[in-house]
Amino acid sequence: MNDTLDRTNQTLADRLREFAKSFGLPRLIIAGFLLLLFIAAPFVGADFWTQISNTINRFSWNAIMVLAMVPMIHSGCGLNFGLPLGIISGLLGATLSIEFGFTGPMSFLMAILIATPFAVILGTLYGWLLNKIKGGEMMIATYVGFSSVSFMCMMWLLLPYHSPTMVWGFAGKGLRTTISLEGFYDKVLAGFLQINIGNLSIPTGTLLFFAVLAFGMWAFLHTKTGTAMTAVGSNPTFARAAGVNVDKMRMLSVILSTWLAAIGILVYEQGFGFIQLYMAPFYMALPAVSAILIGGATVNKATIANVIIGTFLFQGIVTMTPTVMNNMIHMDMSEVIRVVASQGMILYALTRKTEATK
Amino acid sequence: MKNKRRFFFRLGAIVLLAAIAACMMVIGRGHTVYIDNKSLEYEGETYAPYYRATVYVNGERVSKLQPKERAGATNIGQSFSMTLELIKDKDGETETVDIALKLPYNMDGIIVNIPGYMAGLPQDAWMSEFVSTPTEAEMQDEEIPTEEEDVLAGAEF
Amino acid sequence: MKKDNKIFTFLRDNSVPIMFVIICAVCIPVSGFSYGYLLNEIVTRMGRNIFLILALLIPIMSGMGLNFGMTLGAMAGEIALILVSDWQIWGIPGVVLAMILSIPISILLGAFCGKILNMAKGREMITSYIISFFMNGIYQLVVLYMMGSIIPIKHFSVKLPRGYGIRNTVSLLNMRQCLDNLLAVRVDGVKIPVLTFLIIGVLCVFIVWFRKTKLGQDMRAVGQDMNVARDAGINVERTRIISIVMSTVLAGFGMVIYLQNMGNIATYSSHSQIGMFCIAALLVGGASVDKASIGNVFLGVILFHTMFIVAPKAGAQITGDSMIGEYFRVFVSYAVITVALIMYETKKRKHKSAAAQQLQAAQNEEAAK
Repeated sequence: MNDTLDRTNQTLADRLREFAKSFGLPRLIIAGFLLLLFIAAPFVGADFWTQISNTINRFSWNAIMVLAMVPMIHSGCGLNFGLPLGIISGLLGATLSIEFGFTGPMSFLMAILIATPFAVILGTLYGWLLNKIKGGEMMIATYVGFSSVSFMCMMWLLLPYHSPTMVWGFAGKGLRTTISLEGFYDKVLAGFLQINIGNLSIPTGTLLFFAVLAFGMWAFLHTKTGTAMTAVGSNPTFARAAGVNVDKMRMLSVILSTWLAAIGILVYEQGFGFIQLYMAPFYMALPAVSAILIGGATVNKATIANVIIGTFLFQGIVTMTPTVMNNMIHMDMSEVIRVVASQGMILYALTRKTEATK
Repeated sequence: MKNKRRFFFRLGAIVLLAAIAACMMVIGRGHTVYIDNKSLEYEGETYAPYYRATVYVNGERVSKLQPKERAGATNIGQSFSMTLELIKDKDGETETVDIALKLPYNMDGIIVNIPGYMAGLPQDAWMSEFVSTPTEAEMQDEEIPTEEEDVLAGAEF
Repeated sequence: MKKDNKIFTFLRDNSVPIMFVIICAVCIPVSGFSYGYLLNEIVTRMGRNIFLILALLIPIMSGMGLNFGMTLGAMAGEIALILVSDWQIWGIPGVVLAMILSIPISILLGAFCGKILNMAKGREMITSYIISFFMNGIYQLVVLYMMGSIIPIKHFSVKLPRGYGIRNTVSLLNMRQCLDNLLAVRVDGVKIPVLTFLIIGVLCVFIVWFRKTKLGQDMRAVGQDMNVARDAGINVERTRIISIVMSTVLAGFGMVIYLQNMGNIATYSSHSQIGMFCIAALLVGGASVDKASIGNVFLGVILFHTMFIVAPKAGAQITGDSMIGEYFRVFVSYAVITVALIMYETKKRKHKSAAAQQLQAAQNEEAAK
C-alpha cells in the first residue's frame, strides 16, 4: 500500500533520475549531444537531410559489425575485441572472389561464400582458445585480433595474388593497400531499391540486408540453442547442471560472431566502395564495441535494439560532429569527441559490476 | 603526530622539487648569440667594422668574420663569455679581448655588434633581439595523423 | 630421467626467450650487419628503453598485470618536454626540469587510472588498455586545442601557425642525448652512455630496496591475494593506486630519457605504441603477467631489440621486400604478448582447478571419516 503511494508521489525529477539510472548517464549524455547536433545543424548552415542521409548511410555500413557483438555477449564471452579476426575472413573472401574473376553482384555473393569457411575455421580456433582461458577473454581477444592483422599484413604481400586490379602495378605482386570495387560489388546492396527524395537518400538494400540478419539473430536467440546460449552467459553453472554443453555453446557464439564480422566488412566495403587491407582492420573492433555499449548493452547483456540504437547514435556523432563543429566554432574537434565518447563508453561499461560470475 | 610529520615531509619534498625546478629554469635557459661584425650607426656617428674578427667561444674557434658577416653560438645560462681576436685595418695589429656578457633572460636570440661594443657604447646600442621569421614551410598548417596511421609509427622504437 | 625432466621444465619455462634467441641467431647472419654496429645499436637502445620498461615492474608486483596505462606516464613526459622546449630550457637542466614537471601530471593521471582500475578488478589489463586510448583523446584535446589558447605557448617552432596546437614534431635538438653524452665512454667504437646507465642502476637499486619496505611487502601481499591482504589490515585500494601512480611517474621519467635520446617528439604518436613495445620487450625477457624481475628487463631489451634491428633487413634479404620485415617485427611483438597472456590465463585456470580438486579431495576424506 505504502509502496504504491510512494510511486504516485514521485516527483518528475525523481522519475527522471530513475530513468537516467536505468538508461545510464553516459548514454544519456551522448544521446543528448546527438540531439543537440541535429538541432544545431540547420542553424550553422549544414543541410539537415544531407546529414540524416549520411548518418543512415554510415549506419547501414557498420550495423552488421555491431550485430556481430551480440552472440559473444550472450554466451558470456564478453565484448568481442577480436573482431579483426572475422574481418580478415571477410577480406580473404573479398580478395579471392575478385582473384577468381567474379564481377558485379556475383562477386559479392561469392565473397560471402568464400569468406564463410574461413570464418568458420578461424572462429573455431578462436573459440577453442577462448574456452581455454575463460575469464580473460577480452584482453586475449584484443591481442588475437592484433596478431592476426599484423600476420595478414605479411600474407597480403606474400600470397600469390595476380589480378591486375588488386596487385601493385610495377611489382606485379603484393596486394595494394586500397582496392577499388568499381565493376565488382560497389554499392551492390545500397543501390538496390535506393530511395532518393531531394537531399535525402536511403540505401534500402543495405538496410534490408541488415534487417534480415538482425531478424535472423533475433529468431536464433529464441530457438532452443539460442536460449541455451543465453543461459550459458547468464549462469554457466546452472546451464551445465541443466545439461548444456557450455564449451560448445561458447564456441558456436564465437563462430557466429566471427562470421557476422566477415559479412559485416563485406557490407561495409560495398557501401564505402573500397577494400582496405593491411593495418586498416586494426582498430575496427573499438567503434563496434563502443557502438553497442552506447546502445545500452552491457558486458554480458545485449539485444538487437541495442545494436540499432547504438549504431545510429555512434555513427550520428561520427558524421555530424565534423560538419557542425567546424561551422560552429571553426575548430575540428570531432576526432577528440569521437575518441573520448567511444572510449569513455567502453570504460564505463568495464567498470560496471557484473552479476554473472565466471 | 605521525600524520603531521608526514605532512611536513611531503611539504619539504614539494618545496625542494620546486626549488630545483626554479633553479633549472634559470641555469638551463638557452640562448643563441649572434656576433655581428657590421657597421653601426648610433647618435649620428658611424662605427666601422673590423677588417677581421675571429670569435672563440669555450676555447673553440666559432668563425672568422669579415666585415658585414655574422657568427652564431649557443649558450646555456645567462653568462656568456667569448674571446675576440680583432684586426682593425688591413695592416693593423691583432688585438685580443675577452668579453663577458650578461644575457637578458627573455631573449632567445641576441645580436651583439662588435664595433659598437668595442667603442664602449651603452648596452642598448650594441645588443638587440634577434627575431627569426618563420619560413614558408613552417607557416603551413600540418595534417595531424589519426589513430589508424599511428600503428606503424612506433617502428622507430 | 629426473635430469631430463629438469631440462624439459627449463625449456618450457623459458620458451619465449629461447625462441627469440633462435630468431636472432637466424636473422643476424642473414641481415649482414656488422657486430660492431649491432652492439652499438643495442647499447643505445638499452639506455633509451630500460628505464621505461622498469616502470612496468611495480604493478606486476601488486598483481595488476601488465600496465598498459604506462602510456599515461609517457604523455605526462611529453607534455612536460613540450613546455620545457617552449621555455627554451636546454641541456641537462631541461631534462631535469621536464622530469620534475612530469611528476604532478603523472600523479594526477596515475591516480585517475588507479581509481578506475579499482572499479574494474579482475579485468585490469583490458581496462588499462582502454584508459590509454581514452587518455589519448584527452591528450589531443590538451595538446592540439588548449596549448596556445589556454596554456600559454609562444614559440613558433613548437606552436602551429594557426595560433593554437602543437606541431607534429617538436625538436629537442638542444637537449638531444645530453644525458647520454655526459660521461660517455667509447670502447672499441661502441658508445656507452654511462650516466644513463647510472640512472638506470639507481632505479634498479630502488626497486630492489622498495620490495623490502613495508609498502613493497603490502603490494606483494595484495598481489598474492586481495582478500587475505584486506583481512591482514592492508588498505588494498590505496596500495593499488599507489602502485599505479609510481609506475606512471617512472614511465614519465622514462619517456623523458627516451625522448632526449631520440632528439625529437612525435607529438601525436610517440606515446601511442610505447606501452605495447615495452610490454613486448619485458615478456621476451621471460617475464609473465604475474612475475617479472630486473633480469627479465635487461634480457628482454637485448633480445627484443636485436630482433627489431635485424628483422627488416633480414626480411628484405629473404623475400626481397623490405616491408615484410617491418610487418614481421610488429607481428612478433603482438604475438609475444598474445602468447604470454594465454600462458598466464591457462596457468591461472590450472591453479584454480588444482585448488578445487584439493578441496574436493579434502572434503571426500572428511566424508570418509
